[in-house]
Amino acid sequence: MSTDDVPLSSEAGDEDTPETDGGGGGGAGADATPVFVWGTNISVQDVNAAILRFLRHFRDPRDAGRVDPVMDEGKYMRAIHRILELEGGESLDVNAHDVFDHDPDLYGKMVRYPLEVLAIFDIVLMDLVARIEPLFEKHIQTRIYNLKSSVCLRNLNPSDIEKMVSIKGMIIRCSSVIPELKEAVFRCLVCGFYSEPVMVDRGRVTEPHICQKEQCKATNSMTLVHNRCRFADKQIIKLQETPDEIPEGGTPHTVSVLMHDKLVDAGKPGDRVEITGIYRAMSIRVGPTQRTVKSIFKKTDKSRLHVEDSMETDNPNANKTTEDDFLRDKVEKLKELSKLPDIYDRLTRSLAPNIWELDDVKRGLLCQLFGGNALRLPSGASFRGDINILLVGDPGTSKSQLLQYMHKLSPRGIYTSGRGSSAVGLTAYVTKDPETGETVLESGALVLSDKGVCCIDEFDKMSDNARSMLHEVMEQQTVSIAKAGIIASLNARTSVLACANPTESRYNPRLSVIDNIHLPPTLLSRFDLIYLILDKADEQTDRRLAKHIVSLHFENPNIEELEVLDLPTLVAYISYARKHIQPQLSDEAAEELTRGYVEMRKRGNSPGSRKKVITATARQIESLIRLSEALARMRFSEVVEVRDVVEAFRLLEVAMQQSATDHATGTIDMDLIMTGISASERQRRDNLVAATRNIVMEKMQLGGPSVRMIELLDEIRKQSSMEVHLHDLRGALGTLMTEGAVVIHGDSVKRV
Amino acid sequence: MVGPQYDLVGNPLGAVRSTFERAAAESGGHEPVAAFRGKDWGATEVFRSFLFEQGGLDKVPVLDESNLGLIKPNTLVRFRGMVQDMLGNEFYVGAFKDGSTWRTNKFSDSSPFSMPHPCDSHLWERHLFHCVPVPGQNSWTRESSPGPDLRRIASCFTSEQREKRKRGADNDAMDVSESGSGETSSSSKKTLADWESDLNCLTFPQKDDGVRISNSSVEMSMNEEHHVPEMNGGDHHIPGSSFSCLVKVYDMPESQVKLNDVSEFIGVYTFDPELAAPNDNSDDIMFDLMEDITAQLPPSKVPRLHCLVWRNLSAHDFLPRPPAVEPSPILLRGIRQSLLSHFTLVLGKDELAAQCLLLHLLSRLRNKVDVVTVGRLSLNFTGFNRESVSIFGNQLNNLFQRLLPYSQVIPLSIKYLNTATLQPRKDNQSGRLVTGVLQLPQGTHLTFDETLLQSGSLTSKGVKNTMLLKNLMESQKVEYDFEFYKLEMATDVQLLILSEGKSNILPSDLIVPFRPSSVPAVNASSEELESWRWYLATVRSLPQSTETDTYQMIQDEMVNAMRDDRSLGCSELSRWLTMAQIMAASFGEKSLSMEHWQMVKELERLRKERLQ
Repeated sequence: MSTDDVPLSSEAGDEDTPETDGGGGGGAGADATPVFVWGTNISVQDVNAAILRFLRHFRDPRDAGRVDPVMDEGKYMRAIHRILELEGGESLDVNAHDVFDHDPDLYGKMVRYPLEVLAIFDIVLMDLVARIEPLFEKHIQTRIYNLKSSVCLRNLNPSDIEKMVSIKGMIIRCSSVIPELKEAVFRCLVCGFYSEPVMVDRGRVTEPHICQKEQCKATNSMTLVHNRCRFADKQIIKLQETPDEIPEGGTPHTVSVLMHDKLVDAGKPGDRVEITGIYRAMSIRVGPTQRTVKSIFKKTDKSRLHVEDSMETDNPNANKTTEDDFLRDKVEKLKELSKLPDIYDRLTRSLAPNIWELDDVKRGLLCQLFGGNALRLPSGASFRGDINILLVGDPGTSKSQLLQYMHKLSPRGIYTSGRGSSAVGLTAYVTKDPETGETVLESGALVLSDKGVCCIDEFDKMSDNARSMLHEVMEQQTVSIAKAGIIASLNARTSVLACANPTESRYNPRLSVIDNIHLPPTLLSRFDLIYLILDKADEQTDRRLAKHIVSLHFENPNIEELEVLDLPTLVAYISYARKHIQPQLSDEAAEELTRGYVEMRKRGNSPGSRKKVITATARQIESLIRLSEALARMRFSEVVEVRDVVEAFRLLEVAMQQSATDHATGTIDMDLIMTGISASERQRRDNLVAATRNIVMEKMQLGGPSVRMIELLDEIRKQSSMEVHLHDLRGALGTLMTEGAVVIHGDSVKRV
Repeated sequence: MVGPQYDLVGNPLGAVRSTFERAAAESGGHEPVAAFRGKDWGATEVFRSFLFEQGGLDKVPVLDESNLGLIKPNTLVRFRGMVQDMLGNEFYVGAFKDGSTWRTNKFSDSSPFSMPHPCDSHLWERHLFHCVPVPGQNSWTRESSPGPDLRRIASCFTSEQREKRKRGADNDAMDVSESGSGETSSSSKKTLADWESDLNCLTFPQKDDGVRISNSSVEMSMNEEHHVPEMNGGDHHIPGSSFSCLVKVYDMPESQVKLNDVSEFIGVYTFDPELAAPNDNSDDIMFDLMEDITAQLPPSKVPRLHCLVWRNLSAHDFLPRPPAVEPSPILLRGIRQSLLSHFTLVLGKDELAAQCLLLHLLSRLRNKVDVVTVGRLSLNFTGFNRESVSIFGNQLNNLFQRLLPYSQVIPLSIKYLNTATLQPRKDNQSGRLVTGVLQLPQGTHLTFDETLLQSGSLTSKGVKNTMLLKNLMESQKVEYDFEFYKLEMATDVQLLILSEGKSNILPSDLIVPFRPSSVPAVNASSEELESWRWYLATVRSLPQSTETDTYQMIQDEMVNAMRDDRSLGCSELSRWLTMAQIMAASFGEKSLSMEHWQMVKELERLRKERLQ
């Protein structure tokens, strides 16, 4: 080890030698005996003073407002005091931004000649410490973090060698902890004399040839005493580029990083980290006899994370979520975007720009992506914030493409097809590990898409069993498992985006939604928005579709590509909003919500229809709150405003108008969703039952001969103006039978 | 100036160094060579003009599995291959001071001069690429002369040939170092052919049946067993058994070479036995992670190539002598007709299938917008059973092997799906990309034989594989596994599926029930094959333009079609347009016209009739 990894000495990589001649001579000549860092024009005294100034006097501008006489010390003086009090911390973390703000010149020197400047930094620091607390013995290291600019891993090149750089990446491998010799102690084999500790210099230990004891002076007698040497921890990790930095058609680059002392085990494989360190090249001996030729740097990508480096503080960002990777300016950009007056329309346009039309559906989907606020009351009751959407539509209306697109956009999207999903595949299942026999809980699609969007294609083709599992997920947002000794409740805070085909392959406008999709109303009511995507035979839409296809193929510049957010920006925008924006209802908005809700319910009471039509339910008001919260989030607004509520009403109405319109009366009827039967239909049935009862009472004697159903039907048709079918009559008679008025035997009816 | 002084083939480094020293002397100053970092001082210029202007390319031997170890180190070689992995960049001492003169190490592993104090040296960087023979590369691309016959002869006279070859190599070695290039060229040319044949002789005993069959053009029986289809020679999918090359490219912006690109690298072949000796102290714990990736690629097996000149290869570059003719519509029309009739014969006089096949083979990915891909046309021939696959499937495969640069057949059985490694995967232990079947160069043709599929259960690997295939089919993307995340790589692969009924595992764009009426018995002459290859390569690269009135016309047509048939969706209309565009291109037309649209509509009508 000692011979092979001799790091290139600082002089070697130094390419700034020409500067020396000019600057060194004239620059700092005023001082009495300036000491320069070898090969540079950096005066040690100057740097020393600058660092001292920085440590003493730097004040965080954010603290400036606070008038606190106790805190009237510099930021780093306080930090030093804290270290001394705790006696634990062995390093002082220094934000490079602070250095820059205080003294840009010092920052420049530090980045260009890190080895020298950091050594001075340490000396200054120890001096300071000694002055405050003379008895403090531990060595405190300076760790710089948060450089002004970070280098892309693949752009590291020879000119970065021996410079301080900051790189971002993902840890892919960690070595075990390696003890590294710091001070060696030798013992004379002849007389047993222990030598003074020998410091390791650039990876080499100079072994004394002669015993230093005056009486002995034996040559080649010194041997290393392991248990009296001082070792330090060292670890090598491999850092790889993160996917977003890899250009198209490239593979990620890697860099080895040496971690020392406290940084050992600071990160695990899979963590995303930002590392500040000194980039160094390390020559590698290529063959056993090659040493004399000592030619090439066979492999050099060694960045050396020395004592002076710091990982991004204790990385809470180790949880690999993309939300954490925001650069500050990126956030600024997003915020700027959010201030645009047309951001809502712009977002709508950016969502699946290749799927033409369907603007209101896209708006709904956008709301789903942003989501509402989940609420958990102290009592334990919780309200979901996720918005569930069902798309029902004719084949070939690009529903699946919408789903695919949503799957790509959402932070943790899972895409499944109803036909291929079983109940356990969607929720969670218990398996036995074949080797150990342990029972293991495995998550299915819904649990895996916790806090994401679960896209279920061909929802109608799903088995009933699987669908029934969705009840719990869609309202309670949990999955409960009670199997094989495991009783668990897993979080499944997921938005469900399902799409279904009508039963008769094309939507029959004469039937209700329930009849068209054959989904249980209980499940249907859990969807906040239900959109019907109908393929209307309409020349204009056809033409637009044709135009859309043609423009896809010819890359027609005429297509309005303007003002569309690209996919990464959209993803960033959404994840930022979801994470950082928690809008609250304003009073006016709440008022508007109540007013609108009352109005919606009133609509059922309008003259002409009777009280039985219900246009809105309590579930709808929850949906409305969620939708308006999502709309506020889109603007990065912390307050839900009246306009959000108005738009939410509009969205709900658009969705409801299509799905919950009673075709007989033309009004919105939530009963259609809730029970599958509209109020007017129910009214008609009641009338029929009454008419039938009358006839039965009139025409038939108690216990008399039975009457055939056809005859009854004729009778009813004669009496009432209604159009009555045999199966309607059968239904009415069924009701009467439950009342105990009649008995039905096959085709004949008997009064009892 | 330098050309005559140095034998560029035999001693390329001499030329490199002499140009460097001259350039260094000319620039003068305190740091004469600092300016040369990441730049060329005129050395590649010399090679470029020698290779491409003075016809020196033919004199450069092609490096392949057979002649590895026979070519003298530090000579100029060519290597054609696919970039399988990018190993990042490495730094090296590019220039250093030897006494008072500056020397360079560029284009070589080590320097004959002793290295001075590091003060007087400059670190430069170069990019490393791990290149392998192109997967699925068909034999005709390796040689322009009628290959199969020559090979068969060669295999009969192995011993004689080999002796001759050895002599040739010796000659070559002497010539190269000594004198003029006239002799060299003849001998190296001769040996080139010999090496090529030798490759086949050598590979015969080693490889299993599947490979041999595909190499020789003997009737190939495909359903013998489910051979993993590492056909056509390079079975690089099995680590360790393969031939590969470590190419070091200088002075290049990184993004120019992409993963899976097929390129020709011309450069200095180096082999240093000293460097090849195994590292004895690798047990040091440090080396576990410090270790150089290249240490796993011993120079004795993996040759080093210091690239001077490189270029990306397209299908055109494999044609023997690209005819200088302009691709005029009349010429293309004629070839189209002959090719179509050949297809019809191969497909048992099923003209509709032949038409579709032609469109399929001419399709290429033209545009990709988010989830929508434009231009692909995957084809599914239904109505096959095991017997008919053995007849027509083999015919088709033979055809593809002789017409297309890269093609592979994948037998889609449960066992294959459960066992094969389709997904390329990054091995973070070794730091290398472990290839999978789906790591393919752009423009590869894949045939899936689904008739082998029987009911059975898929393991999790099988499910993953089917997802990969489906993703490839639908969005022309392959997900590479980087352990902590997945990375999608764009591909452009033509997919043909032979199945009994409509394939649901691999949903194709175009489904054609196959109705043969005779047994295929055709053989094409080599001239015909050549013209067809040229036709396919040319038409696929033909630029397309469209006038604005065509837009309107097509839109009207689509609206009318939708009015007639309400079941037409976006995907179908989009496919029609793709087909119409390919149809236009197949006639050599640069823009789409009504005539082609009508042809496609007629084709669709016939196809729909069959589907019912």
